[in-house]
Parts: sequence; C-alpha cells; structure tokens
Amino acid sequence: MIAFPREILAVEGARQIPDGDVVIVGTGLPLLAATLAQRTHAPNAKLVIESGVVFPKVVPTPVSVVDPRLMHGASRHGSLFEALGGLVQRGLVQTGFLGGAQIDRYANINSTWVAGKRLPGSGGANDIASHCRKVVILTDHERRRFPERCDHVTSPGFLSGPGEREKAGLPPLDVKVITDLCVMEAADSALTVTALMPSATLDAVRAETGFEVDSVPSPASVQPPSPEELRLLREVLDPNCVYFPERNR
Amino acid sequence: MAVGVHNLLTADKVMTAAAAVERFVRPGSVVGMGGQNINRCPMALVHEVARQGVGELTVVGCNLSLPLDILVAAGLVVRTEQGSGNLERYGTLFSWRRAVEAGRIDVRDHSHLTMASRFAAGAIGVPFLPTRSLLGSDVLAALVAEGIAHVLDDPWGSGPVVLVRALRPDVALIHAHRADPFGNVVIEGVTSHEVDMVRASSATIVTVEEVVPEGALNARPEEVTISGAYVSAVVAQPFGAFPTSVYRGYDFAEDEIKAYQALARRGDDTYASWLAENVLEPADFDAYLRRTDPAGTRRAELTEAMRSYV
Repeated sequence: MIAFPREILAVEGARQIPDGDVVIVGTGLPLLAATLAQRTHAPNAKLVIESGVVFPKVVPTPVSVVDPRLMHGASRHGSLFEALGGLVQRGLVQTGFLGGAQIDRYANINSTWVAGKRLPGSGGANDIASHCRKVVILTDHERRRFPERCDHVTSPGFLSGPGEREKAGLPPLDVKVITDLCVMEAADSALTVTALMPSATLDAVRAETGFEVDSVPSPASVQPPSPEELRLLREVLDPNCVYFPERNR
Repeated sequence: MAVGVHNLLTADKVMTAAAAVERFVRPGSVVGMGGQNINRCPMALVHEVARQGVGELTVVGCNLSLPLDILVAAGLVVRTEQGSGNLERYGTLFSWRRAVEAGRIDVRDHSHLTMASRFAAGAIGVPFLPTRSLLGSDVLAALVAEGIAHVLDDPWGSGPVVLVRALRPDVALIHAHRADPFGNVVIEGVTSHEVDMVRASSATIVTVEEVVPEGALNARPEEVTISGAYVSAVVAQPFGAFPTSVYRGYDFAEDEIKAYQALARRGDDTYASWLAENVLEPADFDAYLRRTDPAGTRRAELTEAMRSYV
C-alpha cells in the first residue's frame, strides 16, 4: 500500500506519543494521530479535550471538540477551566498537538491575523504552548506557512530566540514540527530538520520554507507507515475520508 | 436590581423567549454567549435577540460560533471578546470575519483559559485571577494595552504571572437539558465555560429541552449544574440548540451547518434572504423549526443518531 503524504504525517504524529502519556488534542489530524497511537504502541495514552472531556474512548470520526463522538466513555465531562486550567496549566498534560497558519523559525505560532486576514484566534493553543512540555505541530509544508517571524505571535515557541522563553516566565519546551516534507525539532533554539519524509529532499524543504533551514548533518528518513497503521487509519479511524479527502480522488 | 436577592426571591421564572429577551437583553448589553462550536448553542435565544433587533451588543465567550455570526449578520454587534471565533472543520465565521476585517467590530483576543479565568474571577466576586497563559505572546501585549491584563511578579517568588480582569456580562444566554421553575439547571456532558460565565453574569436566560416540575430536582441537588440563584428566566424550548447538538438529546445537523456556511461565505442577497426568512420573520423558534423541518423527520433522525454514541 502506498501512503499519501498526509497519512505519513499523521502516522509520524502518532509515534510522538509514548505509552502512558497524557495528551491534549483538537480534532482533525492530531486526534487521528492520538487515537492511532492508542490502537498501536500506546494503549495507555490518555486524551484530554479542551472542552472538558477527560480521557474519552473516541468513536470515529469526530469533527469538533464538542462532538458527542469525542465524549464517549470518558472519565469525566468537565469544563474548559478544568481541562485547560486544572490539567494543562496544572502541569498534568505532557504533550499538546497544535496547528496554525504560520510557524516561524523559533516555533512561534500564529492563528490570529495574517496580512490583514482575520483567523479564528488562539482557542486553547496559547494555553497548550505555554504549559505543556512537549508540543507537536502537524502541518502542510508551504512557504507561506513558515515565515522568518510570525505576523502575530498567538502561541509562544521560543519567542525571539534562545533564553527568551525563560525570561518571559514560561517553562522549558520541546517542539517537533511534522510536515509532509520533513520533521523539524527545536528546544530553546531555531527549528532544525532532523528527518525527511520518504520521498523528500532538503532542497525541497528549503524551497518551501521562508527562513534559513538548519539541518542535522545527515537527517534520518521517516519510517513509512506499516500496513497495520494504514489499515487502522483508513478502515477504522477515518473510513469516510473526513480528514483525508485525497483518498477519494 | 440586586440580582442575587431578586433571583432568590423569585419562585417562578418560566416565561417565553420573547418576554425574557425583552426584559434582560438591552441595547449595549454585554452578552455572555453559551455553547461551543457545534454543541448546545443558544440558537432560540439568539434568533429572538435578532428578531427584537437589540443592538450595540458586546458578545463575550470562549469559542464563539454560529450564534455570534447570526447576531453579526443582523448588524447587532459592535465588539467581541473571545478565545476563538470559528466552526472548526466547518470553517470560519464569515460574517464576523468580514465585519472584523472591515473594522466594523472591535475584537479582543484571549486564549480559552484566559477567558475562562476572567469568568471564574467574576463568578467568585474577585477583581482578577492570575494565569501563566499568554506570557511572551502578542495576545498579551494587546490585552495589557487595553487594561484587561497586567503582568507582575508572584509575591511568593515563582516569577511572572498574568492577572486578567474579571468579566461580568450583563446577561448570559445558554441552552441546557432541563430546569425547574426556580431555575435550577441540569447540563449533561461538557459545560465549556458556561457555569462560571452564568455565575459571573448579572442576569441569565436559559432555554431548556424540558421544564421539570417544582421539586423534581430536589432529591439529588448534587446533580444540579447551576443553582437557580444565578438564573433569571427559564424558557421551555425543545430543539432550542438546533442545528447544534445537545449531548444525549440530538446530534448536530451537519447539512444545515454546511448550508449556513455556504450562504454566509457568499454574504450576498441570498444570505440576507435566508436570514429574513429563517430568523427575522418566523413568529418564534418553533415556527422556524416547522419551516425548516415541517414533519419533524430531521429532528427524529438527529435524536436517533445521538443514541448511537451515548
């Protein structure tokens, strides 16, 4: 089976979740990644949803953080204050998944304004980027999404550079950006390419990135999805291609 | 009016949506909006506010979705304070976005936790609460400039914290599962930001799927989500959240939401006609429901669909 680039991205996202981790996700690819992790290598991973759903057993395929499919079999139905305050700010959620219209060299995220265009705003993203110790960003790799500096910093990565996050009063953070071309990582530093998607090259990454791309000397190659990972994604988690319309084309 | 005392002394708060909106939503009100995304949005109340044309509103909430977009389309909103404005997978709020980009609406961005913290401060009668969200971000810079947030060092030495001002809406609008005539409210499933928002508000109108008899909730008061102490008006309105969902009640109507988004995206005469025919002209929300689903088959399907998840 040949995987689509975004399927590889979702599967690589799933691999970032260790067994037993507590993870906060929104809907879309992050939720698919987290539920895939639960059904493969991380059966004891727990999900938190910002609307107040604590540790649900997700029924495929939710489209919203308040979708009843996402409330099924939960430990508790609480509130935003409980999920984002009592769990995320409290420090009980290790990993957060985010997206965003722009991600800059220092892993700051913009989901508010781009060139005078109004976007939805932070939602829980700023809270997750401020309090989780690990943030995984899943996104398509397009030049306009990766500027040198975000037009507006909605959610903090490493702000204007090393040491700035700590100076602002924020805890340390590890960031991993997974795109359809590569994996980039940062820890109080600029994003650095650490792995390439199976058919991608560093030149392709550079062509689609608006800042100077740092890379480790020999980036690893991302392991393609196993047949079982692809089967789960296609037949169980998103059988109607809600999040992978390309499978229908 | 001393709201707490007024509410505690009022035994029967059941009234129509028209009477409740007329009494508690005023031009220029700060309206706390219930619901989140596609769940339990107070659609019947929002239709009524639009019908009565109560304008110059400031709408506040965590995620603002369909209710805000309809009020903006009706030309009734001058300002929003929110954590996000969108319908997730179903897209942005097109009327709101157009109005914001054109400078017709003043916007104050927050994170969801920051908005929830502002309501929580209002709910317990303190002027602010601290948070560590927003530090270092441009969201914070804008709120500091507005006098809504303030950064200081924790007096006990743990470093910078952000103080966010209490937010006390004039009136909260929510839709819930059931309430008794006193206004004791039961919500099933997640409550998003609603409980603290209601407790922070000067008045609250709640539409419910069912008004239960006086005393029906008294045997298990721990199951009451919001005490009647905070509720001003109770309106019986089955399917009052349609086309959004009510957990254990009915699923959201995806086709209706997609159809609305397609019209709102165009923002042209067909959208204006839709608003007139579905929101402004029907006599009440039941008339709108009869218009959009004459035989009730759609509502029966949504009820059945929800049964498969809960």
